Amino acid sequence: MGHSIKRKEDLRFIQGKGNYVDDVNLPDMVYGHMVRSPYAHARLKGINTENAKQLPGVLTVITGEDLAKANLAWMPTLFFDKQMVLATGKVLFQSQEVAFVVAEDPYIAADAAELVEVDYEELPVLVDPHKALDPDAPILRDDREDKSNHIFHWEVGDRAATDKVFEDAEVKAKVHAVFQRCHPAPLETCGCVADHNAATGRLTIYLTSQAPHAHRTLFAIVGGIPENNIRVISPDIGGGFGNKVPIYPGYVCAVVASLTLGRPVKWIETRSENLQSTGFARDYHMTAELAATQDGKIQAMRVKTLADHGAFNAAAQPTKFPAGLFSICTGAYDYPTAFCEVDGVYTNKAPGGIAYRCSFRVTEAAYLIERAVDVLAQELKTDPVELRRKNFISPEKFPYKSPLGWSYDSGDYDAAMKVALDTIGYDALRKEQQEKRAKGELMGIGISSFVEVVGAGPAHTFDIAGIKMFDSCEIRIHPTGKAMCRMGTKSQGQGHETTYAQIVAQELGIPAADVTVEEGDTDTAPYGLGTYASRSTPVSGAATAMAARKIRDKAKKIAAHLLECSEEDLDWEPGKFFVKGAPSKAKTIQDIAFAAYTNMPEGMEAGLEAVDYYDPPNLTFPFGTYICVVDIDKGTGEVKVRRFVAVDDCGNIINPMIVEGQIHGGLTEGLAIAFMQQIGYDENGNVQGGTFMDYLLPTAVETPHWETGKTCTPSPHHPFGAKGVGESPNVGSPAAFVNAVVDALSHLGVKHIDMPIAPWKVWNILKEKGAVN
Amino acid sequence: MAKKQLVQIKVNGRNREAMVEPRLLLVHFIRGIPGLTGTHVGCDTTHCGACTVLLDGKTVKSCTMFAVQADGCELLTVEGLMQNGKLHPLQEGFKEEHGLQCGFCTPGMLISSYALLSKNENPSEEEIRWGISGNLCRCTGYQNIVKAVQYAAGKMEQGGKDDLPNIA
Amino acid sequence: MAMRIEKTFQVKEPIDQVWSLLSDPRRVATCVPGAKITEQVDEKTYKGTISVKVGPSATDYKGELEILRLDAENHEIEILGKGQDVRGRGSASMKMTGKLRSLEDGGTEVTSVSEVNVVGILAQMGSRVISEVSNIMFGQFVKNFQAQLQQPADAATGEAKPINAASLAWAAAKGAFHRQS
Repeated sequence: MGHSIKRKEDLRFIQGKGNYVDDVNLPDMVYGHMVRSPYAHARLKGINTENAKQLPGVLTVITGEDLAKANLAWMPTLFFDKQMVLATGKVLFQSQEVAFVVAEDPYIAADAAELVEVDYEELPVLVDPHKALDPDAPILRDDREDKSNHIFHWEVGDRAATDKVFEDAEVKAKVHAVFQRCHPAPLETCGCVADHNAATGRLTIYLTSQAPHAHRTLFAIVGGIPENNIRVISPDIGGGFGNKVPIYPGYVCAVVASLTLGRPVKWIETRSENLQSTGFARDYHMTAELAATQDGKIQAMRVKTLADHGAFNAAAQPTKFPAGLFSICTGAYDYPTAFCEVDGVYTNKAPGGIAYRCSFRVTEAAYLIERAVDVLAQELKTDPVELRRKNFISPEKFPYKSPLGWSYDSGDYDAAMKVALDTIGYDALRKEQQEKRAKGELMGIGISSFVEVVGAGPAHTFDIAGIKMFDSCEIRIHPTGKAMCRMGTKSQGQGHETTYAQIVAQELGIPAADVTVEEGDTDTAPYGLGTYASRSTPVSGAATAMAARKIRDKAKKIAAHLLECSEEDLDWEPGKFFVKGAPSKAKTIQDIAFAAYTNMPEGMEAGLEAVDYYDPPNLTFPFGTYICVVDIDKGTGEVKVRRFVAVDDCGNIINPMIVEGQIHGGLTEGLAIAFMQQIGYDENGNVQGGTFMDYLLPTAVETPHWETGKTCTPSPHHPFGAKGVGESPNVGSPAAFVNAVVDALSHLGVKHIDMPIAPWKVWNILKEKGAVN
Repeated sequence: MAKKQLVQIKVNGRNREAMVEPRLLLVHFIRGIPGLTGTHVGCDTTHCGACTVLLDGKTVKSCTMFAVQADGCELLTVEGLMQNGKLHPLQEGFKEEHGLQCGFCTPGMLISSYALLSKNENPSEEEIRWGISGNLCRCTGYQNIVKAVQYAAGKMEQGGKDDLPNIA
Repeated sequence: MAMRIEKTFQVKEPIDQVWSLLSDPRRVATCVPGAKITEQVDEKTYKGTISVKVGPSATDYKGELEILRLDAENHEIEILGKGQDVRGRGSASMKMTGKLRSLEDGGTEVTSVSEVNVVGILAQMGSRVISEVSNIMFGQFVKNFQAQLQQPADAATGEAKPINAASLAWAAAKGAFHRQS
């Protein structure tokens, strides 16, 4: 561990020999195509599938009515709600699934989909979440007993105490920050090949899934198929970012079609379908207030948030947390009082939301506090760095109990800040800014000192749809000393085939090259909850270490037997046991592995393997400081990122090269969110960000050069002190970008700008303030 | 349904032919007929470049071409980069410099970089970024892809043009 | 999405002649490319269809036209047209106010203000395509209107052909690039 070894999985990808779901081709395979609603809210009066069915090559057209006969027209979501698989009665968002066509060839299936005639009666549309609870708002969910658009109310903290602090506060700062609806848009869209083999009775589903075991269990429960007859295989996944956590109607339809037709059914969604109907992220409308003393000591935080979940609450979140882990919004700062409340509502939009490259709702939280702190700094007319450093939780206070109930494991926030400041040359930049301002030039510096909570999570508090959030690892050592490991997680590019091998190499001394790592086949891998929310290293990585240590315990006994001594006489260094004081009397792990099959001690079982299901004692709390420098063109409003320094602390690092790559990628996503992206809806519920024409992804030209750095504050409860890091850059960066732009314009009186900060927004502000070139 | 017609395309040096509908996209031809699934489909508006291939020496997005338009042409896909069991310097570069994570954009990136280096042996960082600006990546932030291309440029300068597969 | 389109054009014919055309929905409908009145429901409501092609995508809308206000004295008409795609791929509605004004040279100025609402796949393209398509359709409407004016009132024609798909798409694309914001 700690070495930047090259990735083992690269070999197949650089040759174009990856095995993604769309690469799976089975004999006799047929293709599915979804018919979708053009209306955001309408009654379904009738569907005429006759013309579609008559088209040569079409095998079947499934509608909601057909599914209803098998009780499958609706399916449970991951969060106490249900969602329509195929529309029955009404449609609730544009692009909602209405019928599923299956044909011999994907082009014929698309032709047939055009021939399906659907009769709709338009209903009034609700797209503004703020209007969802108005007395005259259209009620979207006829199927619910509670005839309202209100999904949940959740609160945490001490409302009375917080209100009191605000009443008496010397200084108050308030910001209303919208984290716009965006979409993870992994480069590979979602899809599956569902193959029910009537001869064996088994259903194999090749699936773009970040959580194959959980999906298998859900398919078993919802579909009534015995779980031992279902095999979910997540082969290579082209990016997930949370988009591949939910179960989508297309999967269910493909399974039903395969069961009906007895042939493999492939369904791969198009990009438009992906952007318009699959798990969106964010859409949090948040108000934060900070109370502080005149000399800048934060005393309390008060938060009120409106959460837009679209037509169904398909949030992929631990069940006790309707607003995810949003209560981390108190941030990296030390104060005793806080209160937070979140209300979720339905609207005529695609259902969700998922945790897009973040631990559930942690991005929204980090964005909110980091914006609020900057607004407070502006209010106090103090430097935003000063204000942060004054309020950071100091290292001696860990484990730190936050006012909203989190126990932060470890942290040294000031250390990360210091590295960031030194790397970017903060003082010189502030001088430069002053000089530029005098000349009327616009330059800004944005800070984000985020802390996030990842690695869900301990069984006493965390479960997804009832399944506890442990994770697992199974290691088997072969007679010739090579190892095979399987985990319950599923990489979508994070490099698990390499990093897990490094953990095993560290714990057992078997070279990483001799360790094969497999994930994603539910027939062979031990049960796990999958990869998202930065949980692989904290949970499954821990399981790997624990399994390896169990093996080491057995290996010690074998070594003692081979060296004819007692276990107490032995010492360990990675790769071998040796007699204390006589290092030449040693047995390598390879010797021991061979002996495990050929020369076991009396009474010992053969073999050298172990499995561990790890229940993490706590979550982990990675953190960092990001600093962004921007220059704004007064003529066009365009914001150019001049420099971005990201200092991350994720505890002990397994592979620095892989961590750095993750940071680059996440920062690029943050850049896109801050400046370019939004899934918007017009007043009729038409999706405005439904293709890459409107939902913009940065190319190599827009993406700046990222500078990365690190500090290391190990997690005291993790077997090797690691915390998880894949998502920190997406969590911490939006605030850094926005803070930089606001900082560039703060002398004009600007306090906040909502994302995405497109040039026209900045230009309008400049015009309004009389500062346009 | 329009009448199928015969299409003959040389893919990675091998002649391939099939009877196809005029509307069959080139990317589907590549993935379906010779079964070369390295070329990927990532979007439906010609933005992402995951389908990039080299057609008679020029990069094209194969999702925005019909197979019949490529009749009689020569095509290079990612599978054609390796020669005699040896990785192309670009492939080596992507591995050495961690220029890929999920691997989905990689084939398109490799072809675009290949085309860039065949016209510009020693591109600057800016030229590389422009050269791959038709290829979207969600994982890497492009920084290491730039390094991968620079690695390859350096290697090819040393090793000479013999490393390039023999495609028009 | 809601779009507001304002157009003004002049014709040589005197105001009363123009009004007799403008206030007759059956005749006006023949000027709209791809439109057809199929039946009259009552004195101010009609049923009709309109075919719109944008590039390769053809949509047939079926719906109703209602005369909300007919003011012969001030030469003003207000119509509401609503239609749904027959295959269930979307809907559109348009509220149009048409006003006439006598010109000094004896001709008439026709002003129309329309509020157009489109729901469905077409609306996802955003205003960029819809406004161009509307511009082109309106241009054709004006030509047809002028031609109708020159014909005797009782020569009721059948229906105006829908705009050629290719020319519509090409013109829309050109317009999108050259349009002044």
